[in-house]
Amino acid sequence: MKKVKRSVRARSSSVEEPIASNRARPTKNDTGPMGEHSQFIQSFIDLLKQHNLAELEFEREGFRIRLKRESAAGSPLVAKSENTAGGGPAQADSQAAAISEQTNGMVTITSPIVGTFYRSPSPDADAYVEEGDVVKKGQVLCIVEAMKLMNEIESEVIGRVVKILAESTKPVEYGQPLFLIDPSQTG
Amino acid sequence: MFKKVLIANRGEIALRVIRACKELGIATVAIHSDVDANSLHVRLADEHVCVGPAEDGLSYRNIPNVLSAAEVTGAEAIHPGYGFLSENAHFAEVCESIGVKFIGPTSENIAALGDKARAREIMIRRNIPVLPGSPGELHSEGDALEAARKIGFPVIIKATAGGGGRGMRVVNKEDELVRAFQAAQTEAKSTFGNEAVYLERYFIEPRHIEVQVLADERGRTVYLGERDCSIQRRYQKLVEETPSPAVDEKLRREMGRVAVEAVKAVHYRNAGTVEFLLDKDQNFFFMEVNARIQVEHPITEMITGIDLIKEQIRIAAGMPLAFRQQDIKLSGHSFECRINAEDPEKFTPCPGLITRYRPPGGIGVRVDSVMESNSMVVPHYDSMIAKLITYGQNREESMARMRRALDEFVIEGIKTTIPLHRRIFVDSEFTKGRVSTTFLDRLLANVS
Repeated sequence: MKKVKRSVRARSSSVEEPIASNRARPTKNDTGPMGEHSQFIQSFIDLLKQHNLAELEFEREGFRIRLKRESAAGSPLVAKSENTAGGGPAQADSQAAAISEQTNGMVTITSPIVGTFYRSPSPDADAYVEEGDVVKKGQVLCIVEAMKLMNEIESEVIGRVVKILAESTKPVEYGQPLFLIDPSQTG
Repeated sequence: MFKKVLIANRGEIALRVIRACKELGIATVAIHSDVDANSLHVRLADEHVCVGPAEDGLSYRNIPNVLSAAEVTGAEAIHPGYGFLSENAHFAEVCESIGVKFIGPTSENIAALGDKARAREIMIRRNIPVLPGSPGELHSEGDALEAARKIGFPVIIKATAGGGGRGMRVVNKEDELVRAFQAAQTEAKSTFGNEAVYLERYFIEPRHIEVQVLADERGRTVYLGERDCSIQRRYQKLVEETPSPAVDEKLRREMGRVAVEAVKAVHYRNAGTVEFLLDKDQNFFFMEVNARIQVEHPITEMITGIDLIKEQIRIAAGMPLAFRQQDIKLSGHSFECRINAEDPEKFTPCPGLITRYRPPGGIGVRVDSVMESNSMVVPHYDSMIAKLITYGQNREESMARMRRALDEFVIEGIKTTIPLHRRIFVDSEFTKGRVSTTFLDRLLANVS
């Protein structure tokens, strides 16, 4: 299975925000996260820059990559890659973090997308974070796999992980609380 | 048959699909935005997944999240309802490529019919009567002028990517054409991201008649009578009925035959609707095909006894149609009123809290809605909150039933179009069945 590693910033929300329960259950085998295509994709990005192209699409043996420049040359590239057996790309743009201050000072990191929650990069690897760890801004907290893409969820705040709210390998929905972080504890 | 279906929609149509699935023994997955978490369609589904915030582009139209929801729940098929992703060829294609069955037409069907100018060209090649109009996209004001002179005024300018009245302009005289052409282009560009427009002859007082079709995966195609959707305001339908008072048996058979031929021209699959314009002399002209289930589908169900949503699901599961054209019998008369959360005179949307909701009941009355007392009508989506459908053995009975049901219907806390529906159903022209697409504008003008 082709896997593409990407980074997605987490969305944080109020602890008081009501979140609907999710009775969804996973049905497929979990093969665990990997990321082996970054070099391959980088070569396409280089090609796009080199020839000053607006858009580039490549498809081979169930793998499809589409790269598109957002506007004129020189602007940042928007990379959209997908496994053709895995559907459309996740929209990183829509998942910009929004930090809301809490009355009790706690920050809830919620899932910015629908997918499967993984606490570690592979089944045998150590978890990205444990309860009690102090995390930095931009530090990877977990992975949410969506459409065969491994989306790394980064912390938007500095603080101590007070509680991990989701179970590894289980589906998560948009807005589902994943981590409770206390930003007053930074060391 | 599928074991589990995800419904990629909200509101009454999501509930409608859930009901059909339950009757077929299929498990259901509802998706919802965060503001719809407590909606009835979510509560009545077997599973539910929040796919994004209120804004539909980030939730109900969010293809990666919708497909992830199907993946994590193990849904084998997706019913798109109407609106949102229902006529998105890319979405249908991605579903096909990942092995999730899209319950609807093929991505090629959607692409071919979604481009109105292209669809028109396909129909012309099949000798299907189309509205007299420009052969394709108008590239300049000169093109527009030349086409309009050939067709004769009045003409209507339409967006090729259009629908719902956007990007449309009626032009009565030659000197109005240039400004209308520019305005239509601008509106088309801002609404659909595509400024291409074409023009057609504009008919005075026509009827909007559409024919429901079903086509199975082998291409066997049937029609299920017509719907008269002439009661419109700015191209938004408000009341529909079937059979049409203007269509006799001979015309029905002829329109049905042409509708079947039109969808066969693109190898159409699943449920679809062919829209025609019917002039005063009983000439009908192809307008477009709606490649989805439509809001007003229940009236066809009432007079045919065929559950169109179940048929959609069966067809998508690869089952052949269980009936032939001659097995389809139309019986009785049905009306539908679209109850919108709108000011009944100004048509401004009126979202808010429904403090009291009591739907009508009794024989021959059907209400498709997810509303309840204390439901919040959120401002982010379509303003339609209920469909009131009546059935009677004839037009008179169905109409009397609608008047009675409208009087019973209580929705408090927000303004709705119910008062307007009450006026329509006692109007002397309407009750005689003498209506056209200009009926509602005249009715509204008479009072103010």
